[in-house]
Amino acid sequence: MNLRTIGIIISREYQNRVRKKSFLVTTFLVPVLMAALILVPMLLMLNSKEKTKTIAVLDNSGIVAGKLLDTETINYEPAPAIPLDSIKHNLENLGFDAVLNISELTADNTVTADITSVKPLGVEMAQNINSRIEDAVEDYRVESYRIEGLSQIMKDVKVDIRLNAFTIDESGKENISETGVYAVLSMLMGIIIFMFITLFGGMVMSAVIEEKTSRVVEVLVSSVKATELMFGKILGIALVALTQFFLWILLTGAIVGVAGSAMGSDLFNPDTAARMAQTMGTEAALEGGAQAQDSAQIGGDELSTVMVTLRNMDLGGILLDFIIFFVLGYLLYASLFAAVGSAVENEGDSNQLQLPLTIPLMIGYFIAIYAFKAPDSSLAFWGSIIPFTSPIVMLARVPFGVPGWELALSIGLLALTFVLCAWMSAKIYKVGILMFGKKSGFKDLWKWLRQS
Amino acid sequence: MSFIECREVCKNFGQKVALDHVSLEMPQGRIFGLLGPNGAGKTTLIRIINRITIPTSGEVFFNGNPICQRDVEKIGYMPEERGLYRKMKVGDQALYLARLKGMEARTAQRELIAWFNRFGIRDWWDKKVEELSKGMAQKVQFITTVVHKPGLLILDEPFSGFDPVNAEIIRKEILRLKEEGATIILSTHNMESVEELCDEIALINNSRLVICGGVADIRKRYGNNNVELVYTDADGRHTEVLPAMTDGRSTLQHYLEKPGVQINSFKELMPRMNDIFIKLVTGEDKI
Repeated sequence: MNLRTIGIIISREYQNRVRKKSFLVTTFLVPVLMAALILVPMLLMLNSKEKTKTIAVLDNSGIVAGKLLDTETINYEPAPAIPLDSIKHNLENLGFDAVLNISELTADNTVTADITSVKPLGVEMAQNINSRIEDAVEDYRVESYRIEGLSQIMKDVKVDIRLNAFTIDESGKENISETGVYAVLSMLMGIIIFMFITLFGGMVMSAVIEEKTSRVVEVLVSSVKATELMFGKILGIALVALTQFFLWILLTGAIVGVAGSAMGSDLFNPDTAARMAQTMGTEAALEGGAQAQDSAQIGGDELSTVMVTLRNMDLGGILLDFIIFFVLGYLLYASLFAAVGSAVENEGDSNQLQLPLTIPLMIGYFIAIYAFKAPDSSLAFWGSIIPFTSPIVMLARVPFGVPGWELALSIGLLALTFVLCAWMSAKIYKVGILMFGKKSGFKDLWKWLRQS
Repeated sequence: MSFIECREVCKNFGQKVALDHVSLEMPQGRIFGLLGPNGAGKTTLIRIINRITIPTSGEVFFNGNPICQRDVEKIGYMPEERGLYRKMKVGDQALYLARLKGMEARTAQRELIAWFNRFGIRDWWDKKVEELSKGMAQKVQFITTVVHKPGLLILDEPFSGFDPVNAEIIRKEILRLKEEGATIILSTHNMESVEELCDEIALINNSRLVICGGVADIRKRYGNNNVELVYTDADGRHTEVLPAMTDGRSTLQHYLEKPGVQINSFKELMPRMNDIFIKLVTGEDKI
């Protein structure tokens, strides 16, 4: 191996790609998208107050209307004393958005309710109204037992417990943890590394095919060894991938930071967090039928738990693991993709030969995106040890914490497999790049492997 | 001393024998024609000399020593199926290929610009290869083959794709490089250029070396060395073929003394390389 020529090859591969328009576009566009994915939901949460709606209430039971308290988005008004049908037909003229018709109490102490509106009601609003009616009926039933002080008892009995999860590290320090954070991070890592390996492995293959079809390859191998050419290409593209990755992290961070402060308030200060939490809390409350106020508090706790969880996580370590597994996984697949590329003269012909590579990648991907459900299951464990799926599956497990020996075993096996596959690929590549004219299949690859 | 020596070179691809004990010597500073029908094994031999392919057995000596990877920096190779990166700028590409041949970036730049100027293509430097015509790209390819001043130049069908004007430019450049001391291997099917340029040839057929030697010797060997006399008299133009043993002096004297006869030419009849090639390859006896 001649380091000087490999260096020249790497720098050509790198510079040629980094200067391409498509590289610049993806490098700058993806962070904008990522930042949008982070910022838009936050903005929506802050500004998602629905327009206040006025609802005419026709309460035939006499027990519900009193419990329908106005909220920020709903005004309840008694319905005018005209027939229901004419209210329904003149909603807008009467200044109502909807009319709520509650039936008389039935024999088993319940009511039916229907609501009519011109425009469909939001899910949130419908749930809110529904739970209020349920509350009213429940209260009525409770009271119908005529037990002294029962409503007070019920209030006292009501409880809302939240499971606070902690993780304990080796030093015995307890960390509050939010499982959701691990799950999201786990899926994200699995998806990103799958994308990266497929994308940049495919790039290696296209580059090999390009050199072969343009016939420049014979000139090249008369100057450098075929293996030098192959590894120069693989390493050059690896550098492109890492550059893109770091630019993405950097730019996304920068955009989120700048946009956050530009919006007038720091999204990450406790006030904003509390407000966001309140919005989230309301949703939670409506689902559970609990009191909104309490849940908002819990929601606030939840958000701060997320922050704390993130802060307590060893993000640097996770990043390091990502880089190690990305680099090794990429090297393994890129060298195999290079062998496939050397055997064909246009990308269309590569589909069949690519299959043995895409199948383990897909398997790894599917194990990875479900790994958060049971990160220590035997499927996830073996998936993260067997080299062809391990880079993807292991990264999906990493946020949950993986024992050191498993990491070491996985890395060791992956590195070993890479060396073996690279050696085989180089043999196939050497012969393949100079084979023109006929379509090659697995048989040919096997022949080339044995002959060189 | 021979610059390149192939000693009992064999190459098998699986069961298929591509080269069968080929031994050759190519002297320094000469143009060596490598001939043979398609599929005879020429390209395999060239790739072995280039160290693109490793021979199954046998050895290649470069300037007296077994050839090694460092020697490829002293070889310039223009394959028959040539190509450049289509999306890359001409200048960047030429620089890249020159640097892979061991040139320093600055020297390479200087030399390349000199070559571009000589070929009158200086303004192509920033063009992409895909914008060039086939002939233009060939010129660039030729420059990238010779810019690092290789001691050995391997040209596979160097004239294909060139119009007559540009082919002549390339022909002159090849002769100039020979003057400067380069050894040149010319693989071609164009027998006229073999007669014109080559000092020695080797003919490969069915993986075996059929014949090897100086062009003049081979033509003599395969000709019957008859002499052809062309003269014009009152009746018009006449061509007479005389046996090899003819005594030139007395024959000419005889014709010169005839009244009204003008001698147009008197030369030894050499078989054309084309005929020798066909004869050797097809195994026919007659030329």
